[in-house]
This record gives sequence, C-alpha cells and structure tokens, in this order.
Amino acid sequence: MIFHSLDFAVFFVLLTAAYWALPRRGQNVLLLAGSYVFYGWVHPWFLVLIAATTAVDYGAALGMALRPARRRAFLWLALAVNLGLLGFFKYFNFFADNVAAVLAMAGWQVPKPALNVVLPVGISFYTFQALSYVIDVYWQRTPARRSLLDVAAFIAFFPNLLAGPIMRATTLLPQIERERRFSASAARDATLLLAWGFFKKLVIADNVGVIANKVFALQSPEFFVLWAGVFAFGIQIYADFSAYADIARGVARWLGIDLVKNFEHPYLAKGPTEFWRRWNISLSTWFRDYVFLPVAYRISDRMSSDRRVLFDAATWAYAGGMIITMLTAGFWHGASWNFVIWGAYHGVLLSLARIVGSWRKRRRRVRPWLAPLQVAGMFVLTNLGWLFFRETELTQLVRHLGLSPFQSSVLGRQTGAYLFFLAALYSLPLWVQSLWAEFGGRDFVAAMTCNEERPVLWAVAVQALLAGLLFAAILVLHSTTSLDFIYFRF
Amino acid sequence: MSAPGTRRRRALSLGAVIVGLFAVPLGLRAVNRAVRSPDAAPSYIPSIESPRVRGPFDSGAVSALREAANDYILIGDSMAGTRIDPGHLSRLIGGHGAAALFHPGSGAAYWYLTFKNFVVNAGLRPKAVVFFFRDENLTDTLFRVYPSALDRVARQREPVLDELLAARAQGPFYRLHGAVRRVYQHDQTRAWLEPIVVRAPVALSAGRRARTRLLESMNNEVFTLEALRPMVAADMAAASGEALDFDRNLSTSVLPEILRLSKVSGIRVAFVRVQRRPSADGPPPQSPALQKYVRTLWGYLQANGAIFHDDWGDPDQPLSAYEDGDHLKKEFRRTYTEIFFRKNPEIFR
Repeated sequence: MIFHSLDFAVFFVLLTAAYWALPRRGQNVLLLAGSYVFYGWVHPWFLVLIAATTAVDYGAALGMALRPARRRAFLWLALAVNLGLLGFFKYFNFFADNVAAVLAMAGWQVPKPALNVVLPVGISFYTFQALSYVIDVYWQRTPARRSLLDVAAFIAFFPNLLAGPIMRATTLLPQIERERRFSASAARDATLLLAWGFFKKLVIADNVGVIANKVFALQSPEFFVLWAGVFAFGIQIYADFSAYADIARGVARWLGIDLVKNFEHPYLAKGPTEFWRRWNISLSTWFRDYVFLPVAYRISDRMSSDRRVLFDAATWAYAGGMIITMLTAGFWHGASWNFVIWGAYHGVLLSLARIVGSWRKRRRRVRPWLAPLQVAGMFVLTNLGWLFFRETELTQLVRHLGLSPFQSSVLGRQTGAYLFFLAALYSLPLWVQSLWAEFGGRDFVAAMTCNEERPVLWAVAVQALLAGLLFAAILVLHSTTSLDFIYFRF
Repeated sequence: MSAPGTRRRRALSLGAVIVGLFAVPLGLRAVNRAVRSPDAAPSYIPSIESPRVRGPFDSGAVSALREAANDYILIGDSMAGTRIDPGHLSRLIGGHGAAALFHPGSGAAYWYLTFKNFVVNAGLRPKAVVFFFRDENLTDTLFRVYPSALDRVARQREPVLDELLAARAQGPFYRLHGAVRRVYQHDQTRAWLEPIVVRAPVALSAGRRARTRLLESMNNEVFTLEALRPMVAADMAAASGEALDFDRNLSTSVLPEILRLSKVSGIRVAFVRVQRRPSADGPPPQSPALQKYVRTLWGYLQANGAIFHDDWGDPDQPLSAYEDGDHLKKEFRRTYTEIFFRKNPEIFR
C-alpha cells in the first residue's frame, strides 16, 4: 500500500479509529495485523519473508538470553538469515550477471541464471531494523523480549516499513511495550506533518521528478541540460525521501508513537561529515554504529598508534573504516555499480574532510563569512554524487563527466537555465524552510509541531491556516505524473 | 494526567487544524471568481472537467485532409507512429495514398474524436480507416484522457464521449475525485496558475527575442522522440483484472460508437492489434484473461462488419525489430509498413 492512495486513506482512518478503542495488547495485535495487511496488500507472499525474519530474530535474541554461552552462534544465525534473504532477493541477479560476464571474458559462455521475482519492497529497511534488535541484544544494550507480538509489531510497524526511518529496538520497542493514550496535541501536530509531507511529495518531488526523468531519458544531453537535470534530481530525492519520513512520522504520531527525524536540512551542510549528520540520519547512524565503528576499531587495533605514514593511525583507521562503510552503504542502495561508485565517492569525500579538518585545526580557524561558500561547495559536491546515483549506465556516466560547458549550444544553455529555474521555483518552500531553520533559529514545521501542552490560540490558527494552504497547494499544483517514492526501490 | 480544561483545549485545537485543513482550500473558489478568464467556458467533457479556456480545434488539419482526399486514413498513438511510414505506404497503395493521424500518448477517446470530427463529420469518405491499438486500449475509455491534447480534435460539445467517461468514472476513487473537484474547483485554479508557473522561468532563461519560442523549441528540438535513449521497460505496463473483461467494458467504451459511425457513413473500419515486445524466445506472453479478451473482441468486430488483424506471434516481427518498450526501431519502419500492406489484403482490396 502506498501513502498517497485512497486505499491507504481508508485503511488509516479505520485502523486509527479501532486502535484507540482497544487496550494496549489489543492495540499491538491490531498494529501487527494492520502492518501485515499494509505490507501484503499487493504481494501477499512478501508476508512469508517478513514473518520468517521476525521468527528468526525473535528466536535468536531469546536464544542469546537463555543460552548466553552460545550468544555468538545465535548472532551469526540471525545475520546469515537476514543478510541471506536480503542478498538473495536483492543481489542474486547482480552477482549472476557479473559472474557470467567475468566467465565470458575468460572464454566460458555460461547461461545466466535469472531470478524472476519482484524485489520485496522495504526489505532493506526492515532487515536493518530487525538486525538492530538482534545486535543490540548481543551487545546487551537491550534485553531480549519474550513477547513475539511486540517484536513482530516492532519489525513490521507499517508507517516506516517501506522507506524508513530505520528505528532502533532501543527507541521503538519500549514505545510499543508501554501504555499509549490518545493525545489531541500529538494528533494536531501529526496532521500538519502529514500535510507538509504530502505537499513535498506531490507538489515538489513529483514535479521536479518529471524534469529529472526527462533529462535522464535523453541519449546525449548537453552540459547545462544535464546539470539542470542533476539539480532537479537532487531536489526530487530530498523532497521525496524526507516526505516519506514526515508522512511516516505523522502517521505514527497519530498512533501515539514517535519516530526519529530522518533529515535536518542536508543541503545547508558545510561539509561531507555534516551532510551525513543531516541526510538519512537513521541509516547513517545505523552504519556508523554497526559497520563503521567495529571496522574502524578493528583497523585501529591492527595499527601501531605511534607509527605515522603520511597521517596518524587514527586518521588511517577513520579513512579505512569510512570507505568500507560507504561502499557498503552504496551497495545497500541497489545492486548496481553506480551505487558502489556513489558510496566510494562519499567515502573518499568523508576521508578527505577528516584529513583537511585535522590539518585545519593545526593551522587556523575558518572565517564565519566563508560558511555560505562552504554550503555552496558542498551542494555542488553532493550534486556530483547524485549524478553517480541517478545514472545507472556507466558508459553514459563517463560521457556525462566529459561534457564541457563551452560546447553547449544557445538552446542547450537556455533549456538548462529554464529547467534549473523551474526546479528551483517548485522547491522554493523547501529552501525557505531550511533557511528559516538555519537563520531564524527554529524550523517552522518543527515549531508548529512542538506538541504544546497548552495550545496558544494564534499558534493553532497559524497551524490551521498552514495545513489548509498546503492542502490547497496540493490540490492545485500536484503533478499529474504520479511517481513512486524513490526509496521503494531500495 | 492533564486537567479537563486543558484536554478540551487540546481537542479543540485538533478540531481547528482539521477544519482549517479542509476549509481554507474553499478560498480557491473566491480566487477563481476574482481571476477567472472571460474566455473560460464549460468543457466538452463536463463530467470530468470544470470550465476552462480550451485550446483550438485543428481545423487546418481537417482542410488538409479534405484537400488530400486520401484513400486510407490511419489513426493511433506512438505504436503506430514507430511502425508505419506513411510515405512508403502511400507508394505501396498508389492512388491517393494514406494519411497518418498519429498522436503520441493518445488513447481511445482521442482516436474516436479524430475519426468522428476529422473524418466522418468532415465529409471525408476514404476507402478505409485503420485504428492501431495495444491489447485492451480500445475499450479503456479513460486511458490517456488528456484534455490539452483532446482540444485539438474535440468540438464545442461532445455529449457521447462525456456520457461514456461519466459512466466509466464510477468507482469510489473517481466519485471522491469528482466530489473534491466540485467542492474546491481546484482544476479551475490550476488552469490559470499552472501556465504561469511553467512560463515564469522563461524570462530568466532566454533573451527577449528567444523567450516567446523557448518552450516550443525545447519540445521540438531538445526533447524529441529521436533524442531519447532506448529504455527496454518504457511504457510496458500490461493490463490485468477488470480491464480485460470485454463484456463489462464494452458499453462504456467508444468502440460501439466508432462502429455506428462507420455504418452510418459507409466507411470501412479496420483494427490492428500491434504486437507488444516479444521475449527472447518468441512472442510476448499473454495471460488467459488477455487471450479471452482478444478472442471476444475479434468476434465482436467481425459481427459488426469491421476488419481485425492481430500482429501477435508474427515471426516477421522479432525482438531485434524493437527499440524501447513496444516501439519498433526507426530502421524497421519501412519493413513493418510492407508487412502491414502485404498481410492485410482485406483492408487494401
């Protein structure tokens, strides 16, 4: 089921009404049943996968608690099943194609075994959410749960099931376990969050998405046309992905559950490290905690701390850990080489940022007036990354990188400028919100959704007006081309 | 626990936001009244559209058709456009040749209006009119109903099409959509606001002289069909479920009306089902429901005196002839045109 459908609207209204009429245990039964209806709406066989993941992770965590001596074996079992399912459904064809290509280069022509099944949507997200539970139980950050119902509801929690934010067991499970009461303030704030999320998706993301799709459908776009398309894609992916997160947070808040914020105005980042603190926060912190830190510690353990080859051991550990982490993160996004390149690119950027940062600390402080230039520079670097992310054909990617602005025709320049300004116009509310948050001190959507204990009349009036204006804008300016949420593909 | 007064205030604030959400957009009605164009008129398909400024009917195309007085007229979308070379077909046919009225991204409603207004009501009497379509397109009246394109072929009133569209748009989704449109009249706002949004960046992008033609030049020179890269998955969505229930959809489709016009005017009509993209091993797979649909369609057309030709399974149209999706390669267009001419003696008798 997708959020912007009549099916979902009916489902959500009925589920929410029934949910608040039930006691806690009944709520969790309904939450699980509703989540399974939501997930199995188009392809009921997806439920077999999520149920299998749940059973294994629940059993493994419980096994760790009951047989502490075999904790490591249970962890490996859970990792093998979770990553095995993810790898099989998401990467089988990719590996089969590449193995066949390598064998063909060696002169062996073997038929490619193709897996002709639909990639289970959301598998990358709920697998990571489920893994966080098992790993945190292994690290003894959270206890193993005895209630299969609560663990199943945690893994399948429908608002964030398909595209995040990826919730940790330490954050979401306690909320599922505790008594929940309906809060009109939370529902009011959630309504505004929903309106803002749908506006970002249907007005901004889908309209600029059409521009990006048109440009990337061209065989040989000129320099300015291509980069206008990349800019449009950069806006689209942010508006689209953050819209999903806002809608997920709004839906969850109506059910009395708080999901973490997944974006913090990432295009105002002054450098790569800050960008990843603002972009897809739940995924980047997941990779930080479960991939980067273990890898970086391991590299650090193997290096002598007083040995220095160009940089100190800590910098090498950071760079090594970061490149491995970002390669993994790139590959997580999709079974395609362009995602691996995108991950490697960000790994190198982050490593360079660390090196430059440590060098700068020793020299002098950066002047504050340089901040706008840093933001602009990071935005350009981010967009270069989006080119790697969006262009799936490597030959086209090489061609794009070789384009020169000096070989553009007049019409090419004008078309590029037009598409750029059109994308900028559609994304204006997004920029206003980000700049307001950065310079005005508070994000106006966050400020409006602050769950005030005693609502102030003017604040409520502004909220009501804003919600209505967003709905009016959706009615009038929604794109006639309805695009899927981008992150459904991952 | 909070005090009852606080709880009441919170509940009222939630109510206020929900009321605001649905009440503020009613302001669009007032905005529309203030900025309504004097040229806005009721649509020719009022069941799905509010009054708006419509594009002109293409009377120039009708005059050109009258002048050419072609023996054959071909109607379809890009499927026909990437298959038929009208010049080459005219040479094969001889006489007054053939005219191709292909419009990319068009559907049954567009084809029906083209036949009615460009051919039958324009007094043309070709030997035959050929419609090209895929699978269930002929009976899917709501497929690609784009008013801005339909304006070219629609008259001031199109009661038959409007009735069919109204009958087809009966599900809960369409009812809700229609109700929201009637309450907020947002499509009227869209009609004047969207062109402003789309044109606003033009002034920043081009010099004064190029401004007037920038959008046109972009569409005709940058985003042309030839400039697109091949995409195997382009436009490949296959129908399923109720869309393949021929008997259920016939009464709300334009097909009976096309056949009625054909009988009244004495113009023979033919329908060519183009083959979708084959697999590497042979013709494209067809579900049992689709096979049944095609058999029923065939029987219905024959019973009503129309010609039906099915390209499915034609060994002369292998996968190598295809470009992207169901489109054929440009270099195969002449070959297909010859195949079409050779395999349809009934049409070209």
